[in-house]
Parts: sequence; structure tokens; C-alpha cells
Amino acid sequence: MSQAIQAHEVINKDVLVLGAGGAGLRTAVQILSRRPETSIAAVTKVSSPQKSHTTTAQGGVAAVDPKDRLDRPVYHMFDTWKGSDCSADQNVIKTIVDSAWEQILWLDAHGLHFTRNEEGRFSKRTFGGHTLDFGGPSAFRAIFEADRTGKGIMDTVWSESLKNKVLFINQSLATELLFRDGRCIGAVLFEAPKGTFTVVLAKATVISTGGLGQVYKITTNCRQNTGDGLALVLREGLPVMDLEAVQFHPTGIVGPGILASEALRGEGGILLNKDHEPFMEKYAPKMKDLAPRDLVARSIETEIREGRGIVNSDLNLPHVWLDIRHLSEYVHKVKLPEITGFFSKFIGIDPRTDLCPVRPTVHYQMGGIPVNVFGEVQQSPDQIMPGLYAVGESACASFHGFNRLATNSLLELFTMGKVVGDRIAGYLREAPEPGGKPAHFAEKTSALFSGYLEARGADNLWSIREALREVMTEKCGVFRNEQQMSEAIEALKELGQRTRKVGLTSSSLVMNQELVDRFELDNLLTVAMTIVVGALARKESRGAHSREDYPERSHDYQHHTLAYKQEDGGIVLGKRDIDMSLHQEGGEHAGQFGLLERKY
Amino acid sequence: MNTRQTLVLKIHRYSPENNQAWVQDYQLKVSGMLRFTDVLRKINQEQDPGLAWTSSCEHAQCGSCSAIVNGKPLLLCELLVKKAVERFKTTTFVLEPLTVAPVLRDLIVDLAQAYERVHQAKPFIIDPAGPPAEGDELRIQPQMMDHYVEATRCINCFCCAQACISRPGNFLGPNAMMANIVRMLDPKEQAKDERLDILSAGNGLARCHTARACSFVCPKEIDVAHFLALGKQGKMS
Repeated sequence: MSQAIQAHEVINKDVLVLGAGGAGLRTAVQILSRRPETSIAAVTKVSSPQKSHTTTAQGGVAAVDPKDRLDRPVYHMFDTWKGSDCSADQNVIKTIVDSAWEQILWLDAHGLHFTRNEEGRFSKRTFGGHTLDFGGPSAFRAIFEADRTGKGIMDTVWSESLKNKVLFINQSLATELLFRDGRCIGAVLFEAPKGTFTVVLAKATVISTGGLGQVYKITTNCRQNTGDGLALVLREGLPVMDLEAVQFHPTGIVGPGILASEALRGEGGILLNKDHEPFMEKYAPKMKDLAPRDLVARSIETEIREGRGIVNSDLNLPHVWLDIRHLSEYVHKVKLPEITGFFSKFIGIDPRTDLCPVRPTVHYQMGGIPVNVFGEVQQSPDQIMPGLYAVGESACASFHGFNRLATNSLLELFTMGKVVGDRIAGYLREAPEPGGKPAHFAEKTSALFSGYLEARGADNLWSIREALREVMTEKCGVFRNEQQMSEAIEALKELGQRTRKVGLTSSSLVMNQELVDRFELDNLLTVAMTIVVGALARKESRGAHSREDYPERSHDYQHHTLAYKQEDGGIVLGKRDIDMSLHQEGGEHAGQFGLLERKY
Repeated sequence: MNTRQTLVLKIHRYSPENNQAWVQDYQLKVSGMLRFTDVLRKINQEQDPGLAWTSSCEHAQCGSCSAIVNGKPLLLCELLVKKAVERFKTTTFVLEPLTVAPVLRDLIVDLAQAYERVHQAKPFIIDPAGPPAEGDELRIQPQMMDHYVEATRCINCFCCAQACISRPGNFLGPNAMMANIVRMLDPKEQAKDERLDILSAGNGLARCHTARACSFVCPKEIDVAHFLALGKQGKMS
């Protein structure tokens, strides 16, 4: 290790959680409910776990109420499978959907303020792609806290973690995983406020670092969502899965790309083109504005491409309209107050009287770190990495396949958090002690950070970051083709070269935000390249991955994409099978879980 | 109409290496539709990549980017240039870090220290009331929730604590007190006595002088002072 980069401190914990959002902390709390004596550290990039990206989720959580006489869990499983374009894992779908209601009650009992109806029970609303009776009428399946459901979940698991004495390590990064005898035994952290590197030795390590939305120019994702956990495992030679499956939310607020929840359409909002025509009728005659997100995003892009969009003069951005003027005052004021406020604060309009300008915005990664149904990280389809787990958006089990339904991500993060917590509680009974520091610890961290600090040159890291986001938006967005993605690969390589000429203003380690930005830039470049390589190789259209040159789904690609990073930076691809156990086990509804044609 | 503005930003900077503080001027021309977070990013990109500031969600849902602009605590992410020029009637803006916690560098403060005061108010449920029956949710009338859900919108941005005339050293702060009062009003919480202890402690509600600055500055437009007043009146269920 060079002079500047030394691990100053070694701490021992039973469990290390990298990323203290909804999924990571739900996992931590579950472990503590099973084994209260467990010592847990949770690391976050933000200044408190309460500020995690989970807190921005708006609309709700899908969970079939056993008291509901019309809805059934098997309908929810079907919707998820169909919504995924037949590429989610059915064992995972079953596990999550079956535990949904129990976990909603857990959240309610632990303090979440779910919105109630006049009977004092949970209110419910409907979302895109959620139906009764295998594709029948819309299902009112989503439980919510007004339009801040994610905040409710985050506040609940954050405060429960606080109550149960989880150690929070704020404004810090995980730079390297540590291994001994084929097990993960912790990680190296960069604690930015102190400017120190810390080795955390732990029996179990959980990666719950969230998504990669910052790879794109317009995104609902927070600034910290730079794919750090994905880049972390790629650096260690472990795979990621299905990164080409990037969800574009149809209705980002034009300009900043802030999410305007699907709840707006669930409550009755309608998309209009420049002629005020409700165009979704053309693309999804049955579900219209409540078709799944991939379909609505493509429809909006098509309207814009064919000249039926509107161009915002302030921002010079094309968009369509979302009309919610007809919704009641109660809906505007009580059920959707935050979103109504965004329109007035950020673009100065009143959605009660004005049309709202919206366009697709990058929202979610369906892919992530491949895990099995217990959240154990896979080195290959048939081998796990003992001691290492992943959960939440950074993990891919896969519950969402190639397109996620609205309200299924919040559901996944806390149901899988519970599953992973249980699994780790079991593992801790037999897990070996991590032992002392491994012989070559922090070498990767040292190489990375010494490189950043010693680089000389006048290139600007924010210019490179913006150029990267332009490339991804222009060449690997809602619609993709071979030529543009080949150009993207070349452009990303050039940007990678440019990073070597980024000299930092200060060589200090203490709260050096520029150093953090520099680390994030490497991660963004790594995940961007992985997205494009995966998307280029997948010569079909499936869910959110839409190829102009291969517009149909193909049986040749009825598998997940695994991607590994090689020493020279190249990406090599592999495959993982898609679990179809609900179909294969037979039974009354087996036919609903085959390779369905996807129409709405 | 794209309204471009030439701004002068006077940013209070601090370097921990040599414990040096200074004010640095930046001048730049920007669209009126940009937010102050966008403006700072533009400075990083075009003038000074070393200027340290922080943000996260950038749409007023996380409370990471609080700072003081021309004397007012606010969220940088929801301050549009156009609106700032109208509101402050100037194109010169002085940006300072919050003073509710020590500065780490430039505009970044050690918010974890400010959060310690929220932690002391125990935002969790201390002693939960169980559900009525297996598989059933606790029945709560919406009218009952109307008394406190507004306060649960708090994002702990500490703008209220910054504006409060009581100082953090002797008052847990308006946001921390409000977190305690929410759980006093919440039917799921049974530990009302412990809640009262937090309220009546030396760093509790007695330190509130009802100046109402908290309500005035809250970016979420929560009437914080109203909830503190409920605490003072003893209206706890």
C-alpha cells in the first residue's frame, strides 16, 4: 500500500450491511429479531440511512389481502410473470407474493402510517399490469402511505434499526470485498468524513447498494445511485445479471426527471399527445394508460418520434401531457400531495388546472447481482459465494425479469429482506470466525485510490460523467440497435481513457467530495459498459430491452444474461436458466405460467 | 421562455487540512429553470471541481442539501434560479453551510451529529400495540390519523433547527420534538409515559419559545409549531 492509502482501523462485526436503504435495514432488523445479540454495521453513502433512495418511492406496495373476495395471490404471480415478459424466476415470484401480506402487517405493526379508509382498514389503489382473474379487470392491490410509501418504509426500518442498535457508518463507500478460504469475510470501507480506510471483518456481508440510474441523463434516481455494488462485485470477478434490463418510467417530470408516480394514472390520470388525443388506446386497447411501464414508455417515445409530442421551450425537451385536472380536490390534496407539489415547485404549474409535461425517465434496474431464492450471491449458476448476500435493487433473484410491475419493487425489498435476514440468522449459527486481516487486504483499494490521487491532467470528471450519460441516453435508451450500441462501446472506451487525465484539486482524503465523485465515475463506466455489452448480445426484444433490429422475443434468449469483468476490463457473458417451477409442477393454473404472448 | 441569468455566488468555504475558512466568488450564466444543485454541479464542471457540497434525491424528499442562502435555511434542490431571483430580489447569493452541526468541508456538515438529537427523541415505536387478530391490520380511523400524519412528512433536513431561536446545545430541536409528538399521537405507541419524559426533559419542549420560525422555513410546509403547541397543551391522544 502506498503511503496515503492505509487501513487505519480494523473492526469486527457479525454482519456487515453495505447500503442502508430499505432492503439492507429490513435484513438487519430481521437478523436481530432472530438473534438479538448479533452485532451489525450498516454502511451508507448518505448522511443518514433515513436519506436513502428508498425514501423517494411514491405509489404503493402490491399485496393481496386475504380478506379480499376478488383477488388471489396466484393472480399477482401471473401478473408479475407476464409483466416480466416471461423472464422472472417463478420460485422467487411465489416466495415473495406468498409472504406479501404478512410483511405488510409487520411494517404496519412497526410504525408505518399506511393510509386508511373509512372503516379504518388499509386503503387500496390500482397500478399498471395488476389484474384479477389472469388478465381480467384491474386489481386494487396496492397498499400505500399517501404518495410517500417509500418514505414510510424507510422511516420504519431505519428507526427499528436505531432501536435495535445497528451501527450506522455514514457518508462512506465500500471499496473492496475480503475473502478467506472461499468465503466472504467483510469489506474495506472509505469513511469520507474522517478520510480513513477501515477494514470490517464480518461473518456475513450483505450488498444492498441500490441501483444505477445515474448512468443515464434523465433519471428518477438519487445522485448516489452509481452502481457501486455492481462494480464492486465485478472488480472481484463475480458476475452481475441482466443489466441490459433497465426500466424507463413513463412519466418523469420534464426537466429534472423527477418521478410522477403511476398512482396518478391509477387514480385516473390520462396521457395525451399534442392533439390532446388519449393515445394509449392505440397501443394497449384493454389496459390503456395502466399497461406495464415498458409498453407505456415505448408508446410515449413513439408519439414523440412521430411528431406528436410537445417541445418544452425552457428546456428544449420533447414530452407528452399527463392530464390529472379531472381528479378530485381530495385526490390532489390528500392522496397525492407530494407529487402535486413537485409540479408546482419544479416547473411552476398547477396540475389541478394545467396539463403536466412528462416523458420517460430511467427509474430502476431489473438486473443486479445474481442471487438464489435465499439471497445468497452466486459465483456461477450452481455455486454460491459463502458469507455473501445481496438484496433489494442491487440484487437480481429475479423477481422482475425484464420488466418490473409498479409496486413490486418495494414489495421485493422488504419481503426479500426478511428472507435474507432469516437465512443469515441460520448461517451465523455455524459460520466460521472471519479471522484476522487477510494477507493481501486492501490492495485493490490502494491501487484504485492511489491512481485517483496521483493522476495528473486537466480533464474534468463531471464533463466525463455528463458525456457518459449522454452516450447511454442517445445510444442505449428505450429503443436500441446494433449500430448505435457499437458506437456506444467505442465512446465508453474513449471516456475510460479520459479518466486517466483527471487530476484532482486536492490530495486530501478528508471529506473530499471530488474523490468520491471520481470513484463513482469508475463505477458508472463499468456498469455502463456491462449494460451495452449485454444489450448488444441479446438479439431480441424482451420487456424493457427493445431492439429495433430484433423486435420480437426469441426463444434463443429464454435465459438470464450473466456478465463477468476480466482483468483487462473486457466483459464476458454467460447464462442462467429461468426458473419455471410454477409451470412445471403442473396443477390447476400451470398453463398461466408458460411462455405467454404478452398483450394488454 | 428561457430566462437566462448571470449569477454571483459567494460561497463560504472551509478546508479541514489547514482549518482555513474563506468566501469564494463564482460568476456564471444559467437558465432560470435550473435548481441550485444544478448550478453547483455546473461550477464543479466548468470552474471548480473541488467545491464540496452534497445532495441526494434532489427533489426535496431526503433533506441532504440543506444550506443557508442569503440568510434563509432551505433545500438547494428545490430553489429554482428564477424563483430565487424573484424571492430575494437579487442575482447575488451568499451560500453558507448549516450551523446545527460542525462543517466537514465547504457546504458539507456532519449531519450525523445533528441526527443524534433525533435519535434521542426515539422516532421508533417504543412499545407497540399488537394487531387486533392474526392476519388483520390495526383499525385506525382516518380522522384520527389526520391529527398527526402531516408531521410524518418530515425529512429531517434541519432547516427548522437552523431557524430555531433555541440552540442545538440545549434543545433537541423542533424536528426531534415533532418526531416524539407523532408517536404520542400514534395509537400504535403504548409507551406514552416515556414519551412524556422526553417531552419534559431539560432539552425538551420547555426550550421552545413559540417563535414559529420552524413553521416559517419548513421546506415541506409542515406547521411544525402547531405540533409543538399540541405537546405544550398536553393534547396527546
